[in-house]
Amino acid sequence: MISLFFKALNRNRFKTFLIYTSITVAITAIFMITSISRGIIGMYSTMLKTEGDIIVTQAKIADTFFSDVNASLTSTIQKITGVKEVYALILGASPINDLPIAAIYGVSENRFKTYALIEGVYPKKGEVILGKNINARLHSPKFVSISNKTFTVSGIFENGVGFEDGGAVLNREDASAIFNKEASILLVSIERNTDANALMQHISALSSDIEAKTTHEFVENYNQFKIIETSSNVISAVAFLMGLLGIASLISITINERRSEFGILRAIGKSSNFIMTMVVGETFVITCVGFISALLFSKALLFMIAHIEKFQGYVNGQLSVETIITVFCFSLFMALLGALLPAYSASKIDPIILIQRGAL
Amino acid sequence: MILQAGGISHFYKNDVALDNVNFEANKGDFIAIVGESGSGKSTLLSILSSLLRPSKGELFFEGKAYTLIKDIDAFRQKEVGFIFQFHYLIGYLTILENIKLAAINKKSTYIDTLFKQCGIEAIKDKYPDEISGGQRQRAAIVRALVNSPKIIFADEPTGNLDSHNSQNIYELFKTLSKSGTTIIIATHDRNVSEYVDKIIEVKDGKIL
Repeated sequence: MISLFFKALNRNRFKTFLIYTSITVAITAIFMITSISRGIIGMYSTMLKTEGDIIVTQAKIADTFFSDVNASLTSTIQKITGVKEVYALILGASPINDLPIAAIYGVSENRFKTYALIEGVYPKKGEVILGKNINARLHSPKFVSISNKTFTVSGIFENGVGFEDGGAVLNREDASAIFNKEASILLVSIERNTDANALMQHISALSSDIEAKTTHEFVENYNQFKIIETSSNVISAVAFLMGLLGIASLISITINERRSEFGILRAIGKSSNFIMTMVVGETFVITCVGFISALLFSKALLFMIAHIEKFQGYVNGQLSVETIITVFCFSLFMALLGALLPAYSASKIDPIILIQRGAL
Repeated sequence: MILQAGGISHFYKNDVALDNVNFEANKGDFIAIVGESGSGKSTLLSILSSLLRPSKGELFFEGKAYTLIKDIDAFRQKEVGFIFQFHYLIGYLTILENIKLAAINKKSTYIDTLFKQCGIEAIKDKYPDEISGGQRQRAAIVRALVNSPKIIFADEPTGNLDSHNSQNIYELFKTLSKSGTTIIIATHDRNVSEYVDKIIEVKDGKIL
């Protein structure tokens, strides 16, 4: 039976190739769209969650880039029981040298330790450390110009997070002069067994201008992430649906064209179940081969994109096991639907009619 | 009686293909259904062989109604052999694979015997499009005989063959009928009369 699947697929190599290509392209498209958007969210989340259990932002602000928090709150929060450490961060974007835009992080000195240096030392006033990707993109400069101010490059770091490795880190004070704010956010690291909710209430009560959330809650509810996620889900769903409908119709047409063959099989005594199993087997084989190819193509493409210097590592896709399983199940379901419906309808027709109609 | 059909009628939309036909065949009969193209002979053969359900009427195999046969596919595989005018071998399988696909016992030495009997042992590993029309038809006959069916139906089995090959096939059918296999063929070849036991003529969907 198994050899029959392959012989049947080999019979019409062109159509098999078309189905295989459709499956591969459709699934690759889904993987690319979802993984790139998930990658963006993942990178930002990782950045915030590093040594940050609670995030403090300006109250009722839509985006952390517009948030302005009084940095003096750092020392007040630090004194609260259960707080391990408080970091002040300025998140901004600015041209660096000839790059039209790059991420700029102004961080309090205690935050430097979260940037893994691969070269040099942490920055002092008037200095920056560059992420590995942006350093390569700028051809390892000794100095950089950020918003018309020149900074000495004191070191290179690599965190494995595209947004950080593609940006520059400087002292909060220097960043404050560029972006005209004391801090965009405060990240609070808490001691184990500390009641995070009580702590958040305590922090929020310090000023009506701020609000505190767990970083997990913040990431889950962050408006920008919701926009990215919703857009990518909609685009993915449309691409997925179109791709899968294409696969289902192509398989359906191919199966329909084999009515004569099914008629012959029925005439020599093969049951409808035999034919259905044959069709399911063939569809399963081609879907699995197409899926594996799509997975490998996507991994290769994501790897290539992540290493394109021009993108500074900002496009760094994440392909989750959950996405892989979901896409596989839906692809197989649609492919089987496209195959089984015509095969089932053919199984209800008398063999001689199938042969005669197929022969037309 | 091996096969009996009573009051068989068949319609293609509003066209009457068969009109109240009765038919009987005994074990070892060699029967030819003759008639002009469109007379209804192929439709009758398809209905008798269970490849087509009639619009009206009843069929019995060894006294059992077709409608009471639980597994009609298994019945077709075991009890019936069908030879089509255009052989209808599966194109992506070799001749041997085509035969084995139909065979109940795929390791039977009977397959080799049949290949030898039909003179096509040399082409068993070839694909249908690599052999001649006569060889394809003989391969289709081997496929029909592989499970030693009780009845063989053949629709214009010599339609695409020269007179020499046609004669060989009729002689093979004659031998099979003598050994107890019932042979029912639909043809417009009047030369068949020298081989068959009985000729049934169909015209406008009726037996004359």
